[in-house]
Amino acid sequence: MNRTTLRLILVTVAVIGCVVWLISSGVKATGMQYMTVTELAQLTTPPRQDAFRLDGKVQAGSVVYDQKAPRLHFQMTDGKEAIGVVYEGLMPDAFADGREVVVEGSYRHADKTLHASKLVTKCPSKYEAEGLGKDRS
Amino acid sequence: MSEIGKLSLFLAFLCSCYAVGAFAVGLRSGMAGPLRSGRRAVWAVCGLTLLATILLVRALVARDFTYRYVAEHTSLDLPAMYAFSSLWAGQEGSLLLWLLILSAYGAAFLWCYRKRLDPFYDAVAMVVACVMIFFTSLLSFVSSPFRILATPPPDGNGLNPLLQDPGMMIHPPILYTGYVGFIIPFAFGVAVLIMNRTGTRWIEEVRRWTLFNWMFLGFGILLGARWAYIELGWGGYWGWDPVENASLMPWLVGTAFLHSVMIEQRRGMLKTWNIVLIVLTFELSIFGTFLTRSGVLTSVHSFAESDIGPWFMGFILVSGTIATALILYRKALLESENRMDAVVSREGSFLFNNVLFVALCFATFLGTTFPVLSEAVTGSKISVSAPFFNRVNVPIALALLMLTGIGPVLSWKRATGAFLKRNFLIPTFVGVLATLVCVPFGLRGVYPIVCVFGAAFVIAAIVMEFARGVQARKDVDAPSNPTSILHLVQKNKRRYGGYIVHLGVVMIFVGVLGSSVFQKEAHAPLQPGQSMAIGPYALTLDRVEDAQIQNATQTRAHLQVTRNGKRLGDMHPSKAMYTKSQQPMTEVALHSTAAEDLYLILGGVNDDGSASIQAYINPLVAFVWMGGIVMVIGTIICLADRMRLKREEKLLA
Repeated sequence: MNRTTLRLILVTVAVIGCVVWLISSGVKATGMQYMTVTELAQLTTPPRQDAFRLDGKVQAGSVVYDQKAPRLHFQMTDGKEAIGVVYEGLMPDAFADGREVVVEGSYRHADKTLHASKLVTKCPSKYEAEGLGKDRS
Repeated sequence: MSEIGKLSLFLAFLCSCYAVGAFAVGLRSGMAGPLRSGRRAVWAVCGLTLLATILLVRALVARDFTYRYVAEHTSLDLPAMYAFSSLWAGQEGSLLLWLLILSAYGAAFLWCYRKRLDPFYDAVAMVVACVMIFFTSLLSFVSSPFRILATPPPDGNGLNPLLQDPGMMIHPPILYTGYVGFIIPFAFGVAVLIMNRTGTRWIEEVRRWTLFNWMFLGFGILLGARWAYIELGWGGYWGWDPVENASLMPWLVGTAFLHSVMIEQRRGMLKTWNIVLIVLTFELSIFGTFLTRSGVLTSVHSFAESDIGPWFMGFILVSGTIATALILYRKALLESENRMDAVVSREGSFLFNNVLFVALCFATFLGTTFPVLSEAVTGSKISVSAPFFNRVNVPIALALLMLTGIGPVLSWKRATGAFLKRNFLIPTFVGVLATLVCVPFGLRGVYPIVCVFGAAFVIAAIVMEFARGVQARKDVDAPSNPTSILHLVQKNKRRYGGYIVHLGVVMIFVGVLGSSVFQKEAHAPLQPGQSMAIGPYALTLDRVEDAQIQNATQTRAHLQVTRNGKRLGDMHPSKAMYTKSQQPMTEVALHSTAAEDLYLILGGVNDDGSASIQAYINPLVAFVWMGGIVMVIGTIICLADRMRLKREEKLLA
């Protein structure tokens, strides 16, 4: 192996090392626990880390929307347990009772509320196969 | 009619199977007959798919609700052009579009090489036909667009309002043209390995096909960003959403290939690596389709989730394994002809460019699939989103920006100290100057400063390259300056086209920097007559009114807008309530200039009659779109260069 090859390998390894460091430190700093609503609601002690991502449905009748602020309160449920969510921002278009949503934010164990920094509403499945009945055989 | 559609797809399936068989027999025996027959079968697949597509489009436009697909995705009140574009609103139609573009690529490929009787091209067509088998069988047996309902409804479910946008008419076909097109480089790569092909002509051919697809994919990604900016109404255009990432990944690897292929052409190095990149690009574009369709990950774009995910995963595994096995089997073919002479050289810079592009793709892949991966490895699901991608990808992208300035001016083999000084003194000076000029305007932080420095550095380096070229030509013939630049580009389209692409990239960097770091936001409830201020703008609410449009009720706010006291005119952010789905849809009002966009959203009308207005100022966002156009122009210039192709021809003769 000549000197140039050695140098090339060294520099490449250094670059890859930097990238690996970026990724691992990035995960540590920005990673969120991805849990179900039930798992989070049944925690008895405050979690070590407060960044969470949750999937669930908007509980019917739980939505309180202050459009002027704008601030959105609702209960998120997976059918068993429910967790309060606060989101400071405009209500997404597809947001409604019973819709599937994904929220990311910090969880406060004291009042069992997730302060969401991101709220994504899955597109309603209405545009898919529902309600059209069977195929002709 | 639906029977004809089903039949044509089934025949397409049979023809693709036949094509693979005929090619295989022809290649083994060396007989011309089976090869000719195989080529005809590929043409037949293209014709049959076109027929099926026409039949489905006819049903969509006629709103023939006996078809399940039509009933699912259209309705009577849907404008005709959106009835047409609902061809790609759902899974079955999207797959049909995939197959249509795939078979069109197959046919275009055969047309391009119709005069070449070299069986190598038949081997390439055979690989394409193998992929055709996969898609025709999916459409025939798993996910047919021609399913008929037992009881047709009087009206259909309607099209998702988010997809009722002119951008959605062109974004998916253009993106698909890029995605699907990577089949041709992949097929070339696999055919080279199967046929144990030596020589360099195919490399130039692959480069040209890749460049073409890469241009469409990049342009498609930007159109998608533009659509998100206008339709999703959150003030931004890129959110590191899984589906966005899925389209970015093959683009990144494709970009790496377009650079490293130059080393292979020039020095005969990195052959294995290049084949790996080709294969990876194709697999990632299939993976992108898988992500969009499988519902494994949550995305704002997952319009159609379904159960065809495992099929795609299986296809990726099988094709990836075959390609890997072939690469290992033909190791001798991919032996490097040269060695790297120095780290600081053109080759060296390309090598790091490749490492960084692949790292960017790897980080994006990891972040996108992190919940699935972390659950498999540690048992607990961890998810990452935009902050992760910004933290990891921004520094890598900035390093690439710097390389964009450094790489092209480094000499091949070895760059000397005097050479470096001559080429980098002025760009460094320009970069520092630009940074110093920007600091009083509020430029803070390491990354923004590096970005401004890098952008100015690259532009200065490119301008110097052009100036040097013009100077060199002036010594030969002395025409006036503007035409000599044109002459220069014309004489070496590939090189200067590349610089123009780089210029577009710098513009996108500038646009992203401006709109992410310097974005301003304000919101307020306004009664008629009241005003709010954001930056130099003042917004006064005039009135809010309801209007009926074709398939929705629209609430429109009328706002008078002034900038530094000067009247700009009225803007109308609005909200449409779609009659069919009872889903509201925010319609953004946009005032664009090169310097900044004023972006207005109507949050809604409150109980007391006031209208909630959310306003953003997005500086320099227009540079992102203009940069995209510049990149396309640069790529077209590169594609116009047929010189190397001709040279390779001479070598063969």
